Parts: sequence; C-alpha cells; structure tokens
Amino acid sequence: MDTVYADNNATTAVAPEVVEAMMPFLTGEYFNPSSMYERARGTAQALAAARRAVARTLGTRDPEQIVFTGSATEANNHALLGALRANPGRRHVITSAVEHPSIHELAKDLQRQGVEVTFVPVDRQGRLDLRAFVRALRADTLLVSIMHANNETGVIFPVEQLARLTKETDPAILFHTDATQSVGKLPMDLDGALAHVDLLSFSGHKLHAPKGVGVLFLRRGARVRPLILGGHQEAGRRAGTENVPCIAGLARACELAREHLDEEEHRVRALRDRLEEGLVAAIPHVEVNGRGAARLPNTLNVAVHYIEGEGMLYQLDAHGICASSGSACTSGSLEPSHVLRAMGVPFTAVHGSIRFSLSRYNRDADVDRILAVFPGIVASLRRLSPYWDKDADRPRADAPAAGSAP
Amino acid sequence: MGWNYSEKTKQLFMDAVQGKPGTHLGEIQDPDGIGEHGSIACGDAMRFTFRVRRDPVDPRRDVITEARYLTFGCTSAIASSEALCAILEEGTYTPIQALKIRNEDIVNFLEGLPAQKIHCSVMGAEALEAAVFNWAQKRGVPVAELGIEPSIHSEDEGRVVCKCFNATEPYLRRKVKELNLRTIPEITSALKAGGACMACHHAPGGLQDILDETWGRAGEGASREPGLLVARDAAPRPGEAELSPYQFSKKVERVVEEYVRPMLRRDGGDVEIVDIKDRLVYCQLRGACHGCAGATMTLKLMVERTLKEQVDDRIRVIEL
Repeated sequence: MDTVYADNNATTAVAPEVVEAMMPFLTGEYFNPSSMYERARGTAQALAAARRAVARTLGTRDPEQIVFTGSATEANNHALLGALRANPGRRHVITSAVEHPSIHELAKDLQRQGVEVTFVPVDRQGRLDLRAFVRALRADTLLVSIMHANNETGVIFPVEQLARLTKETDPAILFHTDATQSVGKLPMDLDGALAHVDLLSFSGHKLHAPKGVGVLFLRRGARVRPLILGGHQEAGRRAGTENVPCIAGLARACELAREHLDEEEHRVRALRDRLEEGLVAAIPHVEVNGRGAARLPNTLNVAVHYIEGEGMLYQLDAHGICASSGSACTSGSLEPSHVLRAMGVPFTAVHGSIRFSLSRYNRDADVDRILAVFPGIVASLRRLSPYWDKDADRPRADAPAAGSAP
Repeated sequence: MGWNYSEKTKQLFMDAVQGKPGTHLGEIQDPDGIGEHGSIACGDAMRFTFRVRRDPVDPRRDVITEARYLTFGCTSAIASSEALCAILEEGTYTPIQALKIRNEDIVNFLEGLPAQKIHCSVMGAEALEAAVFNWAQKRGVPVAELGIEPSIHSEDEGRVVCKCFNATEPYLRRKVKELNLRTIPEITSALKAGGACMACHHAPGGLQDILDETWGRAGEGASREPGLLVARDAAPRPGEAELSPYQFSKKVERVVEEYVRPMLRRDGGDVEIVDIKDRLVYCQLRGACHGCAGATMTLKLMVERTLKEQVDDRIRVIEL
C-alpha cells in the first residue's frame, strides 16, 4: 500500500533534486568554508550561491541580509530575544493569539520575565482583529511578530498591511514575521510589498529541503543582537560552522519552490478544494476551519463534531494516510490546539479537528483515497460517540450544541 | 572565505617568500629614511627603509634608489610592501614626490585587493610617509614643506571593530567622546565606521556597545528614540491650552462628524475612526471609497488637512 502523505505542514519529503545538490558536500566537498586553502573554495562558493538563491526567493537583491540558522524555531528565538537585547529601553511585544509555539511559548516566557506582551485575538474564521492590532501599538512597543500564514488552518495574515501600519506609527518598532508556512507557497517580495518587514523566519524542511536548516532574514541596520556567539560565521550574526550540505539543499529547494509557485497556486489548490468539497458533501456536521478567510492553497483543516481526532488519525494511518490533528491527545501536551480555541471553535469540534496539508507531490489519486475512506472512519467513530444517535445518524438531542462556545 | 587575491598579488607574495632576485625583502643599513607602521597587536606591521642618491646642493632633489621592507602580516600586506618598493625603484621619485604615492596606487599595482584587505595597502603608504618624515629630519628639509601632519602617525591601535573601514576600538572610543556621537548613524556619518556591511552595529563589542559603555544604557531605547506617538515638538498653538487626550479625541470625532463625513458621503463613502494615539489618527474608509485607488490620497489630503486646520496641525492620519 502506497503512503498518502498529507501532512506537509509538519514536514515534507526531500526533493530528489535537493538530495542531488547536497551530495557533493556530504562526500568530497567536506571542507570548512572558512578555511583558506584552495580546496575549500568550493564550499565557500556554495555558501555564497545559496545565499543568493534564498535572497531571490525572498524577493531581495541583497543576499547579505540572509542569515542561515539551524531551524525556524531558532530564527524566531533569534528575532525576539535578539531584538530585546538590542533595545532594552522598550519592553512591549505584540503578537497574535495563534502563533506557532516557537513564538507563542517564547512570548509567554518573556511575560514571566517582565516583558509586556499583547496577544492580538482572531475572529471565528481565524482572521486577525485589525482594530485590536492598531490599538495594541504603543510608544514603548519594541517588536511586532505576526505569522504570515497559520500552520494549523492555513489562514493568511495581511503582513504587508500590518508592517506598514507598524512603521507608519513608529519606524523604530521592529516587525517580524514567521513565514515558515508561506515561503514556497506564496510569492515573497521583501524589496517591494514586504519592504516594511525587518525580520522574517522560515525553515527548509517545510519546502522539500532537509531538517536542520532555517533562515532569518535580517534587514540591514535592524537593531538585533546575535543569539549564538562564538564565531565570525554569518558576519558574526550566527556563530557555528555552517551546515553546508543542508544550506546547499535549502538553496536548491528555494529555486524549485519558485519554479513551482504557479503549480502550488493552481494544481495543489484545486486538489485541496476537491478534497474540501468532497468531505463537506460526504460527512454531516463538519465545518472547515478558516473557510471564510484567505488561506494557503495547500491546507485544509476540518472540524468533525462529536468525535476525537486521534481515533481518526489512527484509522487513517491504517489506510496509509498521514495527516494530523489539533486534538489534545495527539499534541504531546494535554491541551487542545490554542489556535482553534482562539478562533472560538466549539469544544465539540476542537478535539475532532483534522488537518490535511498537501504539496506538489500529491496527485489526484491521493485525494481519491482520502475521500474513499474518511467518511467511513468518521461514521465508525460516531457510532461509538456518546453524543451521537447512531440510529438517526445525527447528534443526540442532549448533546452539547455544536455552535456553543468553549 | 578563501583567497580572492589577484594573480599579481599571489605572485608577488610567492616571489618574496622565496627570496627571488628583484624582490625587496630586507632592511637597508644606515638608511636615508626609515619608517614604521602598524604593530604586532594589529596583526600587521611594517618597517620600511630607503636609500637616496644625494643631491650635493639641494636635498629636495635627492632621488630614491633603493627600498626595502620587513613586514609582519598576511599575504596582501607582504605583497603591498613589495608593490610599494617596486613602484619606488621603477620610477625616479624624490622623497617628497614619493609622498604622492597613495594606497590606491598600490592597489592598482596589485591589480586589485579584496575590500577587507584594503587596510594592508594603507599600511604601506603610511610607512612610506613616516620614512620620508625621517629623511626630512635627517637631511634638514623643513617638515612643513612635506605637507604631512605628524599627528597621523599615532593612529590608535587595537581590536578592529568595523572591518570595512578598519576602525579600531580605541579610535572609536576616542572619537565618540571627542565628537559627542550618540547614535550609530552619527558614528557612520562622522567616521564612516559601520557604513558598509553593518555587521558591527549590534555585534557584541560592536558600535552600540561602545555607545552604551560611553554614554550609559540610559540613553538607549524608548527614552532616546521616542516613538512618533510622543509628540516631539509638543507645543499647543499660540493662545490655546493643550487639550487632554479625552478632549482631543472628542474634538477629532466632532470634526469628522461635522466636516469630513458629510463630504465623503456625497461620494457614497464613509470614514471610521479606529483609534487615536497622541496625534496619530487611524482611519478606515468604508463604502464607495474603500478599495478605490485614490482612497489613500483622498483620505490623506482631505481628512488630514481638515483635522490639521480644525484641531491640531501636528495630526497625522494613518489609513488601515
């Protein structure tokens, strides 16, 4: 049985072209790019070429603004902690209520250390409350960190507008965006539409590069100190011998992502839309989280009322289908998704949320397979649910209403 | 990283270290001019000596015939030293004419140097200047005729902070105090330091640290760079008392209601005040205006002008 991989917001398959681009640096070209001898020139040149390729994909002509890191999480930590250390006079941070844990948990920890943090709420569709955002801007605001697209729902935030409003209020406020889910799926123009963005993070393994490499875009002149000290690498902004194989792979992945941007926007979106319409038509009492908002073309988050996510994932797995859930039982913690709760998804559905996330490697047959088995899985679990009337195939009269707030 | 040296640089270096004929490594005994520049602490140091064919009448007409160097430094420092000596011996320079040889000439002779190595060529020119200074003293030529300042021979040595412009920590500390430089842009405009790659701005021990250590942390952040929310030229109009924030926002709302909204409604549009912070007024256009290409201009020109006239000329309108 072939695997249907529909969990591309978690990680992606490494592209064969990327493996090919990495191989020289895993074999003969093992030299330290900082070394002076002639033989090390190849690794140093690969590093410089990678920086240019990443810069092109991010839409900036200045490759020196690209800092390679070990992950997007590291880049996010670098952005927030580095900004705080460089600007001790300002102690207020603005972020959204639905960030990835690498921003969300960090922001909560900063609160414990006396930094004031405003978590801007989202509406039922996952859209940022723009008025609350504007009201949150203050004279002592140090940094704004708002993700470009949400990893769980795929909802896209208007980062261009948010960055502009931030800079029109006070150019000294730093604007950071976690673009881990959007690089490779949306066009990036840091010299143009995103010119007000000072800092941008993403990782390689979300766009068919290997794990263990990320990027922090650090605009020239931005007041940010380094996080990792002890070496001249990355112009002193991130010490540690460069991960040349992964960086070369990331660069190739960025080029491929640029080439496939149109395919992502049309063919992958069409696959996602067919999956979405098929599931909504086949299963009663489901809703699509974030349906009313602009979303990434590859992400579908469905809330299935009255059943629990883990049981669905388990059965999907038995059919060779990989997906993920916002349910508490699958997250490693005992808390259900903070994203869906912030959206006000009713608790009858938060635990039953399933995320399918596609990539350019998915085919029509993958969608067919999911559509063939998923309605049956839902029905089998609902037969066991204390809230489901299996004879009438509808929620029991005494079940909590699906629309009630958590 | 690797070497990005020109073929000429590499060849001069290899010839010099192999002691090939025609290279200039060494020190002239009883020289007519001797000059030193740099120190081991900097990683680059040069001792430069030259001999002249003495003019029996006028020492100003002495001609340099032989030049030698001892250099502690990298490939480009040694190649630059070779270049300097070669330029001098190939031409017929009086010591005073030799002062016209600048580091650009050395870079050209080497067919280019990587940007971060330019300071090596500067060292050669500086050592030459010091040696000519020495020659002038020995030969009784008035120093004033050389057109050089003795003071530049005591450059501050120490850790290099800005690598692009070779600015050392002692130098920056001295200049920051002397010139009362308070911000990185002030340092850059006065000294060039920090003006190219910018990596030294917020690096540990970088420009911001030097500023903080000189002036104290107190001068940093919100207090020194007030957000635009804090009105900098906060003076009420003549003859008027400053409005309280509450009075101010009430007045803005009243003016919007009485003047702005009726004008917009005539075109089927509307405006909503989303927030007021200090003198910043955040607006959202509604109805026919929304999405219109001219909306921003409409709002800026009309709403801002009206509010400036009616309420406070420090008002700035920000459109959502």
